[in-house]
Amino acid sequence: MLLGPFFLIMGIIFVGGLIQALVQSLGYLPAFGMDSVSLEYYRRVLTDFRFISSLRHTFYIALTSSALSVALGVFVAFLVHKTKRSNKFSFTLLRVPIVIPHIVVIIMIFHIFFQTGILSRFAFAIGLIESAHDFPLLIFDRGGVGVIIVYLYKQIPFVMLMVISISRNIDSKYFQVAENLGASPFQIMTRITLPLLAPTILSAFLFCFAFGFGAFEVPFLLGSPARQTLPILAFIEYTSPVLDDRPAAMAINVIISVISLIMIWVYAKVLSILTKRGMEGAIV
Amino acid sequence: MTSMHVENVNKSFGNNHVLKNISLSVQSGEFVSVLGPSGCGKTTLLKLIAGLEMQDSGHVYIGGACCDNVPARKRGAVIVFQDFALFPHMTVKQNIDFGLAVKKISRSERERKIMAMLDVMQISDKAEFYPRALSGGQKQRVALARACVLEPRVLLLDEPFSNLDPGLRDDMREFVSKLQRELGITTILVTHDKEEAFMLSGRVAVIIDGCLQQYDTPENIYKKPHTVLVSDFIGEANYISGMISNYHFSCALGDFDAAELVDGEAKLMLRYDQLIISNSKGMPCRIISKVYKGNVTTYRVEIEKSETLGLPEALTLKINSSDSSFEPGHKAFIRVADRAGHVLR
Repeated sequence: MLLGPFFLIMGIIFVGGLIQALVQSLGYLPAFGMDSVSLEYYRRVLTDFRFISSLRHTFYIALTSSALSVALGVFVAFLVHKTKRSNKFSFTLLRVPIVIPHIVVIIMIFHIFFQTGILSRFAFAIGLIESAHDFPLLIFDRGGVGVIIVYLYKQIPFVMLMVISISRNIDSKYFQVAENLGASPFQIMTRITLPLLAPTILSAFLFCFAFGFGAFEVPFLLGSPARQTLPILAFIEYTSPVLDDRPAAMAINVIISVISLIMIWVYAKVLSILTKRGMEGAIV
Repeated sequence: MTSMHVENVNKSFGNNHVLKNISLSVQSGEFVSVLGPSGCGKTTLLKLIAGLEMQDSGHVYIGGACCDNVPARKRGAVIVFQDFALFPHMTVKQNIDFGLAVKKISRSERERKIMAMLDVMQISDKAEFYPRALSGGQKQRVALARACVLEPRVLLLDEPFSNLDPGLRDDMREFVSKLQRELGITTILVTHDKEEAFMLSGRVAVIIDGCLQQYDTPENIYKKPHTVLVSDFIGEANYISGMISNYHFSCALGDFDAAELVDGEAKLMLRYDQLIISNSKGMPCRIISKVYKGNVTTYRVEIEKSETLGLPEALTLKINSSDSSFEPGHKAFIRVADRAGHVLR
């Protein structure tokens, strides 16, 4: 009941925005003299090569960055957990990237990884490359390496923090029992720790994926002009001087929302299965 | 079957000296209880034996071999914890299988052992259940099965009955006792419940404040405690002051054998149920109070001071009796039960 006003505001923003986008995606923009309703813009978007390519690229960026973030975040969490002596210092240090704004990270990554950046200059100085052009293209590249590096920089500490805080809530007796029953440290990690952390890891993956899928500024500033993610494609369509492109932009936004909702549904399903299997102790 | 021995073991956590020079031997196939109040260090002793904690000094021997440097996973001393600690993400069968699987035993062998253990524990119908769907007694059987299926050299039980309802607790005690006899596993039970320790084990080690106070049969622990500390922990008792002379103890209630003690002041310990109250036989006394407890009535009686009995002051005693007919203010007689009474310093 106390949360009512919060849900009301959130609902108005989300549902209101979604309805507006849905209505416009069907071609209904009376202000621009467009008052007929059809699925024409969806047909146009879904058969457009740029959209298919962009969808594929967006999935690639989101999946790669979230999978790597989760894998490396869990790994770093285990390392932090092991090195108890330096725990406090390393813990603080590893939290720093979370509070740095994305735009600052973008500038940092640009200056380090661009062909005229710090790494390139260093490689040139020690004779590894003869000119800036010999340095691999990591920014504005078609593979989205620069974009993924930014996501990793921000998301690995996030995953690590999630995993550490939740793993502290897991009863340490499970680990003692496992050791007492003959399990090696590796067997304890694979058979006890990781399964108990599965819901947390799943949540962390979903957060990272959702961000990677819907983020605008990082691929806009560091991505390849030839490979655009869906939010950038939607932005280009929306800002197009051709008014007819506006419903197409909204159709792309609706498709992004639908994919996000499907992800939430899959997440809820998997979480429900994990809960039935007794893993609710580690769910966030 | 394997013997177990700890020798001069010490363990501290910071400034807290938890275990002080503990030495304890358990024979092959024996069921021993470690009895003591909460926080006395008994669970720490169990973890030292299992290898989950490392002693500061002293040695642990299992099967005659020192295993100070043997990691917990290779000791073969398996603990059943107080809260069972079943893995929540595994079914009953997977929980029991865990120890076998990590030892890389063949699937068919594992299957055979699991089925046999499910049968012994009478939980075959729960094999595919997750722990959350089990009752306390069933969880305990799974925890026991998970430990016993490994055929441990030493089975360590850490207050395994304390989380169970009273009725179920008695059933499980009987079940564990029978199981231990059948499997013949050397077993050490840690408990703060004296009744449980006496009921299940052949010998009881009483640990108080980190020191092993007495290691003896349940009967001797109850009737012949070495110290007042042990006597008080085990149960309520009357203490009557007197003197030992030529291996005989004399007090207002008579003379008692004190063969193992040197001359000097001492105390006679009499449990409340080692005194008999009647209308005719023994020393005259007056009933001061009466507390009816159902199967037993506790009386507080007073023997008047008497120069001839060597009582400079009135002596107050407590007696448990099945006869509830005596009333406060009335006269009665008390006497010491045959062969009762234990002299201690």
